Amino acid sequence: MNMRVRTIFFAVALAATAATRAADYAHDMYVCANISGQGQVMGGRAVIASGLQRSRDRVSFEHLGPPHIRLFSVTRDPHDAGTLFVALLDGVLRLRHDGSARRTMTDWRMTEPHVIAFDPNAPEHLYIGLPDGIGVSHNRGQSWRRANEGIRRAYTHALTIDRTSAGRVLAGTELGIYLTEDGAKTWRLVQPTTKVTYDIRQSPAQPAAFLAVTSSDGAWWSDDAGRTWRAIAGVPTKHTLHNCDFDRSDAQRMLIGGWGAGVRVSEDGGRTWSDRSAGLPSRDINRVSADPDIPARIYAAPHLAPLHVSDDFGRTWRPLTFEKAIVYDIVFLARN
Amino acid sequence: MKYLLKFISAGRAQPGSVELVERLDVTPLQDARTRGRASTTSNRWRGVKPLQLLLVAIGLQGVVTLHAQPANTGPVPIPRVVDDATERRAGYLARVQEMLTWRAGLAKPADPATFNLQEIVAKLALREDAAICSARVIELMKKPTSDMFWMFPVTCISYLGRDQLTPEAKAAVREAWRTYFPLRGDTENHWIMYYSSLHLMAQLWPGESGDRWFNGKSSDENFAESRDYILHWMNLTTTIGQGEYDCTHYIGEYSIPMLFLSAWAKDPAMRQRGRMMLDYVMADFAVETLDGIYIGSHARTDDNNVLEKWNGLSSAFSWLFFNNCPPPLNFGSWPMYFATVASHYDLPEVIYRIGTDRSGAYTHYERKRTRHRWRLSDQRNAPVYKTSFLTADYAVGSDQGGLLQPIQQHSWDVTWAVPDPRGVHNTIFSVQAHYSVDELMMYFTEMPDSMPKAVTFQSKPTYISEDKLLGGSPYEQIFQQDDTVISLSDVPAGATFEQVNGFFSKDLAKLEEDASGWIFVQGGRAYIAYRPLAPYEWRPLEKGGKRLRSPHGKNGTIMQAASASEFKSWDDFKTKIRALPLAIALTPTPTVAFTTLRGRKVECAYGAAPRVDGREIDHARDWKLFSGRYLNSEVGSGVLTITHGRLKRVLDFNTVTITDAVAP
Repeated sequence: MNMRVRTIFFAVALAATAATRAADYAHDMYVCANISGQGQVMGGRAVIASGLQRSRDRVSFEHLGPPHIRLFSVTRDPHDAGTLFVALLDGVLRLRHDGSARRTMTDWRMTEPHVIAFDPNAPEHLYIGLPDGIGVSHNRGQSWRRANEGIRRAYTHALTIDRTSAGRVLAGTELGIYLTEDGAKTWRLVQPTTKVTYDIRQSPAQPAAFLAVTSSDGAWWSDDAGRTWRAIAGVPTKHTLHNCDFDRSDAQRMLIGGWGAGVRVSEDGGRTWSDRSAGLPSRDINRVSADPDIPARIYAAPHLAPLHVSDDFGRTWRPLTFEKAIVYDIVFLARN
Repeated sequence: MKYLLKFISAGRAQPGSVELVERLDVTPLQDARTRGRASTTSNRWRGVKPLQLLLVAIGLQGVVTLHAQPANTGPVPIPRVVDDATERRAGYLARVQEMLTWRAGLAKPADPATFNLQEIVAKLALREDAAICSARVIELMKKPTSDMFWMFPVTCISYLGRDQLTPEAKAAVREAWRTYFPLRGDTENHWIMYYSSLHLMAQLWPGESGDRWFNGKSSDENFAESRDYILHWMNLTTTIGQGEYDCTHYIGEYSIPMLFLSAWAKDPAMRQRGRMMLDYVMADFAVETLDGIYIGSHARTDDNNVLEKWNGLSSAFSWLFFNNCPPPLNFGSWPMYFATVASHYDLPEVIYRIGTDRSGAYTHYERKRTRHRWRLSDQRNAPVYKTSFLTADYAVGSDQGGLLQPIQQHSWDVTWAVPDPRGVHNTIFSVQAHYSVDELMMYFTEMPDSMPKAVTFQSKPTYISEDKLLGGSPYEQIFQQDDTVISLSDVPAGATFEQVNGFFSKDLAKLEEDASGWIFVQGGRAYIAYRPLAPYEWRPLEKGGKRLRSPHGKNGTIMQAASASEFKSWDDFKTKIRALPLAIALTPTPTVAFTTLRGRKVECAYGAAPRVDGREIDHARDWKLFSGRYLNSEVGSGVLTITHGRLKRVLDFNTVTITDAVAP
């Protein structure tokens, strides 16, 4: 078999394997990324189309969204798996799963949402975290109102909807974690911080457990559904921690990524943490994520580098896709 | 003097910027630039009669026409106040025509690839080569890019081309507005361009459903939303001030959308508002210019413009309206869009006279606002307090210091008049060199740590450099009284740079370090005394001149400017400055008590309100939106009164009315 034939054979085999795997996965993988490099400015000539990328097989990615360099997160319409809602510089964009039928759902009054989430127990209710507050829609984005009364310094980068109770939301803001239990009508500060809380996640195994990461205040843990919090030992406090995630296949596993912090993982429910950055091109990690369909598989997005993947929970890494990416979010959305 | 002009198409901000690459030949008649420099020590127009000036002007205009030489490399315009409205208008339209002709001339019909958006706009404005323009529009609409900077020219093409473009070209434009999704951006100038363009295009294509638009909103929705934002921006600007205020290179991004609205909006109220805002922007500009140069504090300028003060797009508007300076090298880029419909606008005489009359010194005060603050501030838009002092020989301008804008803030300077500003660094200033993640977090929403380095890749290369001459500092407080500036800095240990950088131009006529601690300099007809408050050293600058580097956290600068004509001699100036009462203390915090040349006792202490003649200065109480000889407006009023001599124009944005009056 000559080289050409072998190459074709290998490619066909890989595609077949990927196709087989794709059929097995319960989730599609979405990556919100600027892949145009840090020299790409708004209003500049775009050489590469950034924006929303989707992979069904964890191998190949298709460009779905507008070619924007500031596209931050994505979620799915609970009523309709074929409809996506994207948080991007221009506000909230609704589009079909193939990228068609786009509509900007917000107007000029709401800009640069970095986080977007539906309430699974009130699926008409959509929340966005804005640089100047929180936006809430009670009709799946058709109309919006501000809902950050009582929050000082309302820059909101994280919103986590408690899946056990409608209208119960935790917000990561500039000066702490706030909790609402009435659909954002009122908020109370449950954990003050001196710097921004950039991510809050609810444990898939323990609904009352929440993990939060901050800028220079380290990571925080709550065992009582976000009412009280305690600092997690062993997690760096001098670095900006960008996000965190739970491994849905193992309740004891969780991971954190941050700027200079690399990738930190825990395999004992957060009691101890290990640095799993070896093999990555840098310790400046914009995003980490655990694959809900593949046990022990995690992803890390080093700054201006390829998106990396590990199949042994960070012990070894290999590049997966893109060349110089700034990844804003990695999201797994369930198929129908 | 003629230069071969090379046009650079890369990058959004300078599509069509010009680079001088080769000097070809020099003739005595053409080289007015050189002649101008030879007369730097005297007022070049003093003693010349108006008729002589007119004849010289006509003669030079002939030279320009004869050699088809762009005005930016031609002779310096002769500054004179044109009293006759018809002549003033004719001159304005002639300059408009030059811009269009020059730009259109870059497009070669034999080579359609030379027809880019700007050339097409110029061609359509001149009603030339419509068929080629149409064919080229179809090509260019296949690969739209550059977001709001694409919307803006394409809006212009669409309106200019209504009766020139082929149906196919129009269809290509229409399709591009369905398929290409431009970013709205994150700055004030992005938004006003975006929404003005969207407004006019929604007007052009009324009644269409959301599936015909990139954002999925119907024509009615886009029209209403864009109108809402435009009115919001106008209201914000005329009540608490512009956020991207007084930018040397963004004035076009505001004035051009306003002109488009005033020319093309069907709604007479929107047309009127566009015209009023254009008056507003131009009056705001005119009052702080010296021979066409935007002086003093800017929300944004750049590494080149901060030194070569003339070389910003704002000077193109001075040339266009006041004809008192050469246009900058890139005058055929963004200002060219203004030129396409410039005939729709007639600069009010009262603004023209403000821009050209420097017969007496005046102090002008303004209140602006910061850009939106997202983090690290309890104020969304903090107030900016500006002071400017202008004479025929020099101008001094400042803000109150602090982090008022990200990255490109310029807080204070002295600018002196020069016969020909091209290539001249006619300015002196100091900065507390600073950059920080906190600064960027305040004004941008992104994750913090990657931002400082990223900024340097985005046309702001000096942002993190120790030798930077651009940017604000949270550790700097500035106060200006007349033509005196006192800047104090108290930098905590661990900040990025514990130092002050002072800029000393290559074009200073004199520079003497005095045993008294003062540094005496002369720029043009201005004498300037510069007092560093802490020890310093000199470092050479790549672009000429030198940097005063004072590596001390407790620090500051005192600057006193004056006209040479006020003194018997250079020595007399120095003697008088040395004799001024001055007390300086740097610990525990920097403090200065200085009696100025104008006899005012100014006391400044870092962290405290300044005092003048014993009276405490309360910026919030004392600074109106505009106050001074020419422009006056109360905060929150939405009313601007523009006055010059007997002329008065009142812009009332509450009633959308313009009222002109002439005192008997």
